[in-house]
Amino acid sequence: MTVSEPGTAVGTATGTGAGNIDGQAIAITVFSTVKWWGKHWLPLLFTTLRLIPPLTRDLRKLSFIHFARWTLIRELPANGDTAPRTRLRYPHLFFESNFNDGWEEYIDAFSYVLTRGMSLFWASSYGFPGALPTGPFKDYIHRNELEAAHYYSAYPEATATMVRKALALAPAVADFAERAVRLSPAEFEGAWSAFLTDAQDLL
Amino acid sequence: MTIATPRIRRTPPVPDLADIQGGILRAYGNDYSRTTYLFVNVDETRAGLRWLGRLVDDVTSARPWTAGKPATTLNVALTYDGLRALGLSAELLATFSDEFRAGMAARAAQLGDVGTSAPEYWDTPARAHVILIVNALSEDDLTGRLADLRADLGRYEGLSLMHEEHASLLPGVREHFGFADGFAQPAVEGVTDEKAPGGGVRDKDGWRGLALGEFVLGYPDESGRDSDGQDLPSAPAGPLGRNSTYGVWRKLEQDVALFRETLRTSAAAFPGGDEEKLAAKIVGRWRNGTPIVLSPDGPAADFRGNDPGANDFLYHDVDADGRRCPLGAHIRRSNPRDSIGFGELLSFRHRMLRRGVPYGPPLPPEATGPDGQQRGLIFVCYVASISRQFESVQVQWLEDGNVFGLGHDKDFLIRGPADGSGKMTVPGEPPFFLGPQPTFVTTRGGQYLFVPGITGLGAVAAGTAG
Repeated sequence: MTVSEPGTAVGTATGTGAGNIDGQAIAITVFSTVKWWGKHWLPLLFTTLRLIPPLTRDLRKLSFIHFARWTLIRELPANGDTAPRTRLRYPHLFFESNFNDGWEEYIDAFSYVLTRGMSLFWASSYGFPGALPTGPFKDYIHRNELEAAHYYSAYPEATATMVRKALALAPAVADFAERAVRLSPAEFEGAWSAFLTDAQDLL
Repeated sequence: MTIATPRIRRTPPVPDLADIQGGILRAYGNDYSRTTYLFVNVDETRAGLRWLGRLVDDVTSARPWTAGKPATTLNVALTYDGLRALGLSAELLATFSDEFRAGMAARAAQLGDVGTSAPEYWDTPARAHVILIVNALSEDDLTGRLADLRADLGRYEGLSLMHEEHASLLPGVREHFGFADGFAQPAVEGVTDEKAPGGGVRDKDGWRGLALGEFVLGYPDESGRDSDGQDLPSAPAGPLGRNSTYGVWRKLEQDVALFRETLRTSAAAFPGGDEEKLAAKIVGRWRNGTPIVLSPDGPAADFRGNDPGANDFLYHDVDADGRRCPLGAHIRRSNPRDSIGFGELLSFRHRMLRRGVPYGPPLPPEATGPDGQQRGLIFVCYVASISRQFESVQVQWLEDGNVFGLGHDKDFLIRGPADGSGKMTVPGEPPFFLGPQPTFVTTRGGQYLFVPGITGLGAVAAGTAG
């Protein structure tokens, strides 16, 4: 694995500001102002999604997304020890996510695959045009997106999919290595072939 | 998986075929066995405008021919440098897409045109202004038309013919590696609806063609379709924003001797030793075009790519793990259909109308090594967005394998890494690993193009485009 200077790696990432890209990873940071009823609606939505995991199944199936997080911000934390916390007149929805591949593909997946979910998350935000059609939705996200001042990926060559596969492969390799020492050459040939067959999706 | 949201029922927009240039929405067809690309530079704006003004009336439109096929066709494409040389205003130039304005050579790093594929080694002009595309039924027809065009150019001071690229169909409409090519095209709603099964997208009523605006500017695209045509995709301002399209032109040299040699040596270790099967695993089709996902044990003798239904196949339900057609097979990567999951929803915005033609003589079947001849494919495609349709396929699907769970594996057929690393996994029991990956295909030239509608082209020539 090669290690690049933070923020300078050229990966496969496309479609967003250079500050949002490091190696294979792209950051997205979106703030939107929330209507008065959002401060009741969003906590209700968050709790429901937490309690009923199948509701977020499709989101989890999109393996190029490392994570996606929606937060309701009602006050800004103190800037230094002495400054007071600032209570916001309007609450804001803070969305952050890290993902691989392209920005366009990411928002397309939100629009086409998670249409209803995205509409629920942003329903209470001012100016939200709906998750479909995807054109105005992309414009909306672009308008509310902040480019990262600093974005760092410790493993710029790795993607979430690759890491997940490597984690699944590691115990299989360890198990095979442990069994292999007890096998005759003839047995090993068959066992190796069986191991490759079982593990091929992870290689 | 079907699109979940309710769609507004409406009749698709009618394309203005008399204004859209020919060869885009429909190919001219295999009777036009010869294609030549003339690269013209405009050193003096007024000469360029006068020349184009005379040419406009000869440009072939998409209107159906009623009096038989013409002996030759003529189409005109412009680069960003060309639009500037022809005197378009800075305000109008700013309305063209970023990647088109940058040009293909400037995107080489992202596109994987590095090493021997880098622009400094290209053998076509890196800076070009106008590309004339001439199709001809016969060699004689071509010779005559080219002579006329050259003579016409010679009448103007301040125009130079920089380069000629000659391409012609190979016997059996194969590409140089020996595979039938070019028939899995996207279906366009209201134009080529008959291609919808496998070439369009599924909604609750079944297959339908893709919105016209995915391929021609000035019409709703798939996003605009969802808003009942209320918003139109980004396009240049004024008359150039209607009935026009963006084009991608690439000269891709193919090392046929190396491809054959690799098949021979690799098949020795491949279960069954079947060279043809290994070739089919790399491409995703048998040589006659039969998709290997439908026919894993051998080609269907009667397969014809242009038959109705020939393109009506998917991957996910029958072959999610790639035991029939490897996840890394060339056609599965470049057009994954439902392979990524969620039906076609993550792939249908990335389709291109491909209009490529091979160049160079075929390598004789009995050849045992390179013959010193250059050969390959002039890859041409037409899209409404170069970045969304061409570049994302090239960058996300061919240059990198992550989206298919293939790590950093590049497309084995067309994207060999310069350092000789790389592999392709052929799933099976056990899987077979092809590698190290040779470089079968080298980029030898490329341009991002804009193909105006005929009215738009006339406005450019008249200096009234803006």
